[in-house]
Amino acid sequence: MTTYVARRLALAVVVVAGVVLLTFVIAHAVPGNPAASWAGPHASPAQVAAASKYLGLDRPLPVQITRYFAGIFTGNWGVSIHTHQSVLSNIATAAPASLELVIAALIIALAVGVPAGLASARRPGRPADQAIRAGSILGVSMPIFWMALILQLVFAQRLHVLPVAGEYSPNLLFTNPLTKVTGFPVLDALFTGNWPMLGSTLTHLILPAVVVAAYPAGLISRMVRAQILDTVGETHVQMARALGLPERDVFGRYLMKLAWSPVSAAIALVFGYSLVNTFLVESIFDWPGLGSYAVASIGTLDTPAILGVTLFVAIAYVIANLIVDIVQAVIDPRIRLR
Amino acid sequence: MKRHRALPVAAGSALALILAACGGSYHATTQSQPKSAQTFTYDTYTPVMIDGWDPATEYSNGIIAMSLMYQTLTHYNSATHQIQPELATSWSSSDNGLTWTFQLRHGVHFHTGRLMTAQAAQAAIQRTIKENGGAAYIWGAVKTIDAPSEYTLIFHLKYASPLDLEASADYSAYIYDTQAAGSGGNLTKWLNTPHDAGTGPYTLQTWNSGQEFEVILKSYSGYWGGWSGAHYKRVVFRVVPQDTTAVQLLKSGQVSFIEQMSPTLWSSLKGTSGLKLVSAPSWQNLLGQLNTRALSQPVRQAISYGIDYKGMIAALSGAAIASSGIVPAGLLGHFTDLPNYSYDPAKAKTLLNAAGYGPGKKAMNLSLTYTQGDTNESIVATLMKSDLAKLNINLSVQSLSWPTQWAKGKSSTASQHQDIFMEYWWPDYADPYSWFINLLETEKTPYFNLSYYSDPTLDGMINKVEPLVATDRTAAEQLYKEMQVRILDTAPILFLYNSNYQYAMQNNFTGLQVNPAYPNVVFVYDLKPTGS
Amino acid sequence: MIEVPEAPAPAPSPAPVAAQRTRGWLRSNPLLAVGGAMSALIVIVAVLAPLIAPDPGDAGSATHPFDVLKPPSAQHWFGTDQVGRDILSRVIYGARISPLVALFVLLIACAIGIPLGIAAGYFGGWLDDVIMRLTDIVLAFPALLLALALAALLPPSMTSLTIAISATWWPWYVRLIRGQAASVAGRPYIESCRALGISRRRIIFRHILPNAITPLIVQVSLDVGGVILTASALSFLGLGAQDPTPDWGLMVSEGQTYFTTDWWVVTFPGLAILITAFAFNLLGDGLRDLLDPRRVILR
Repeated sequence: MTTYVARRLALAVVVVAGVVLLTFVIAHAVPGNPAASWAGPHASPAQVAAASKYLGLDRPLPVQITRYFAGIFTGNWGVSIHTHQSVLSNIATAAPASLELVIAALIIALAVGVPAGLASARRPGRPADQAIRAGSILGVSMPIFWMALILQLVFAQRLHVLPVAGEYSPNLLFTNPLTKVTGFPVLDALFTGNWPMLGSTLTHLILPAVVVAAYPAGLISRMVRAQILDTVGETHVQMARALGLPERDVFGRYLMKLAWSPVSAAIALVFGYSLVNTFLVESIFDWPGLGSYAVASIGTLDTPAILGVTLFVAIAYVIANLIVDIVQAVIDPRIRLR
Repeated sequence: MKRHRALPVAAGSALALILAACGGSYHATTQSQPKSAQTFTYDTYTPVMIDGWDPATEYSNGIIAMSLMYQTLTHYNSATHQIQPELATSWSSSDNGLTWTFQLRHGVHFHTGRLMTAQAAQAAIQRTIKENGGAAYIWGAVKTIDAPSEYTLIFHLKYASPLDLEASADYSAYIYDTQAAGSGGNLTKWLNTPHDAGTGPYTLQTWNSGQEFEVILKSYSGYWGGWSGAHYKRVVFRVVPQDTTAVQLLKSGQVSFIEQMSPTLWSSLKGTSGLKLVSAPSWQNLLGQLNTRALSQPVRQAISYGIDYKGMIAALSGAAIASSGIVPAGLLGHFTDLPNYSYDPAKAKTLLNAAGYGPGKKAMNLSLTYTQGDTNESIVATLMKSDLAKLNINLSVQSLSWPTQWAKGKSSTASQHQDIFMEYWWPDYADPYSWFINLLETEKTPYFNLSYYSDPTLDGMINKVEPLVATDRTAAEQLYKEMQVRILDTAPILFLYNSNYQYAMQNNFTGLQVNPAYPNVVFVYDLKPTGS
Repeated sequence: MIEVPEAPAPAPSPAPVAAQRTRGWLRSNPLLAVGGAMSALIVIVAVLAPLIAPDPGDAGSATHPFDVLKPPSAQHWFGTDQVGRDILSRVIYGARISPLVALFVLLIACAIGIPLGIAAGYFGGWLDDVIMRLTDIVLAFPALLLALALAALLPPSMTSLTIAISATWWPWYVRLIRGQAASVAGRPYIESCRALGISRRRIIFRHILPNAITPLIVQVSLDVGGVILTASALSFLGLGAQDPTPDWGLMVSEGQTYFTTDWWVVTFPGLAILITAFAFNLLGDGLRDLLDPRRVILR
């Protein structure tokens, strides 16, 4: 087991190193003058030169690469040109909001997708199956930004049943201020017993999470269905049936377990995908996460920030994959032998 | 830097606000916000104090807050076209306009507690001139400043200039306590802590940089105007990038006033109970500066004839009104009988053909830049592209963030320069001089003259006109007319339209006066709350 | 009276049998049928755009400033946008853009993926390791993110968009082809071929490639929907098509400001994206059901 973990870990490190290198290459292949952007439009040539020195742009390329690598591991991810603050601190402030959204979306996606996939696989080919399959495909075909706008218009602006935007109602900051414990508003409200704030954070979370959940729900539903249908024909299942075991048991005990394998693999996949999908909806819902930060960085051509966000998401994705791989190895011993 | 003031952004477009720029807590302030009728909440779409807290160098959106904390010697009343007393109670100039004497108000205290004397005012203005940021050029005529007695301030000028008007400017004319940081202290640093050193009715309570409730001001008990009668005691500046969200907040009573929103959204609020809509002309116009080095005069004139101005105004649903010349209505120098361009594609075609371009001849490729995030500018750019396409001109349009757009226009590499630079302009004080001195005077290295226009005759007229305003107003008006006739002929700039303020607010206060001399500033002290 | 026996019932003519067979096929492949029909319709609309669209000029640089933001009506079925352009015409012309981008992206992805995949799968060894690590690294970035980063750093245009998305899409094809190549290369008859002195090139072209085609087709058809969504997302963020290109993602982005008062500017282009992605996803799913022999599909 340990060799397996060690191997996966080593592989992950190599991949992350490659990711860092790739982001650096992208950054420096692009024309532009970050020193000038940093120094601002008033700057004199002397000030631009000073900015260049401050940003380390005057060093030769190999030195820049080594400094970049060293910086990544020591926590110096550069300075954001448009906030003039450390990129890492910007990301650290913005990341919890995005993570909260993705996790909420994944919970919804599992709650919807797994039962749907199971129901669909129970009677394949029947109308219920066709309908659910169509629904799943609809889920993965949905343009997220459009769905966000439509839902926001219908539920928030017209029907007024859900809030329009934001993580929580800003008025509550004065009457029920939120103390930071974990950085995730929902959890913080829960842990500090701040019930008005908890209600507010949850209602604000609904629309964005539902929007982001569409794709994963569709995907999970299809994967569950496919996995079950694949295994249903296998011998041990036929054996169980031949022995006269009730369908419920066949389904419940044997197939469910097998369904989890691709689902857990899917979770890692959709985690990365959803994290990036949140970028599209964050500005629509005024959600102060990585997406809003990334969009602001794109608008101001803030290369260090764009790269920082890219790096962060890639690393999160690699870690998610690593965790899933290890969990799967724990559940399914055959994997360890590969 | 003249901050470009863009109109509300579409979500997803790039002027999104970082609402979590500060590491640390959620910035729940320890003060509770009284949900009383005594708080005025001003809803803006872009961060307020982005230029810092120094009243000498502020040149951006910050005046909406600063003009409540700081005051100027005189105040321009755009309704009556009068210059009114503020920190100065009376003033006079010598016949030749070279000496101006101001009598200052007694008993005015800075928020630091110090008394405002002529010496304090002198120190403030001298520092503003020395810092040379923002609109410091308004003091350009000043040679020396004397404070012979406690409340007398005398300016000796190098050349005649309407100093009473210049002292009422919305930028770089504030009077502040230069001793606020103590002797030997760094005033700029002290101001940027932040602190405020003004004389105005409100003073800084909290600054939550990067947060939604960005600036909170509280009433200054020692204000010289007193607090008798109904006044708002607290002012909150709330930053909401999405105009639809802002409207929700207005409807639910959580904000008092919205600075800007899309014209269609504004129109849709008509008739909503509890709300009041105000539409008023501003002194802001949208200009397209034509690259005079790349485009010859006939071509520039052709382009001027080739734009459907009326269509543009129709498409903007009330956010724009037709312009006449470069000076907006309400200012000295505005004339309706100027030889303005109108949409005349036939004439445009003739001019282009003579130069070898136009339909049927060689195609022309032009580049236009405008400021990212401004939906009105993007509509205008699209309309221009379509209008010019009919003249066989391919207009490539680029939306850039303001710093990028400006840097590109100022670039020392001429090949980098755009053919049309679209931006808004508005004056620094109630005078048309700002347009000419900034946009049209010859510049060795480009700064704001992004038509790269060099016209010695016009330069001569520019030099003559300001002193004339102080000594012979009628002659000054005539000269402004001649200058506009000239630039209409040489066509370095496209005059697209004048902006209309479209404000939406609660119906629970009176006393709002829209004053284009102080763009988007609501003088909250003058408002009377009437109900809940 | 002698009863004349009735003539025996005529044998059923061939046509009904074919019809029955088609109906049977359709019923057992509903996804493919519906998806195929919808996709074909979209392609037809794209090809016939100049004939179908009521105001073809509006898909280009034409504007009508006096008709801005008109709600759907008899003259403008989908209403007009913020510069007065007919949205129906723009949506129709938009059908030319998204599928074309998907085509280019997938062509490029195949062009890169096939050679690299074959190299990795057939030759194996260190070449395989290097190529696979490379794909791992690129795959570590979720597609949209890498495309976002690239598109943000390149000047916005459809070309940049295509390049950015292609750059993130090719690794899947390397993996796919590699898998196929490796499995075929390991088979005994390939060794016999080699023993017989048949050139490597012949082996690749005559044995490996044909086996890889089917999964490739399936993957491509499944990916079309994904590329369309990615492309529209990037255009929505302003990183792809620029005005006046009638790209659906761009149209949704431009219409946002007006959405609460003029819902049609956003709704119809977005619906077009949904329907197109849906159609191609259905098609892809149907093809996979049909062509992938490993799937056990119970009907």
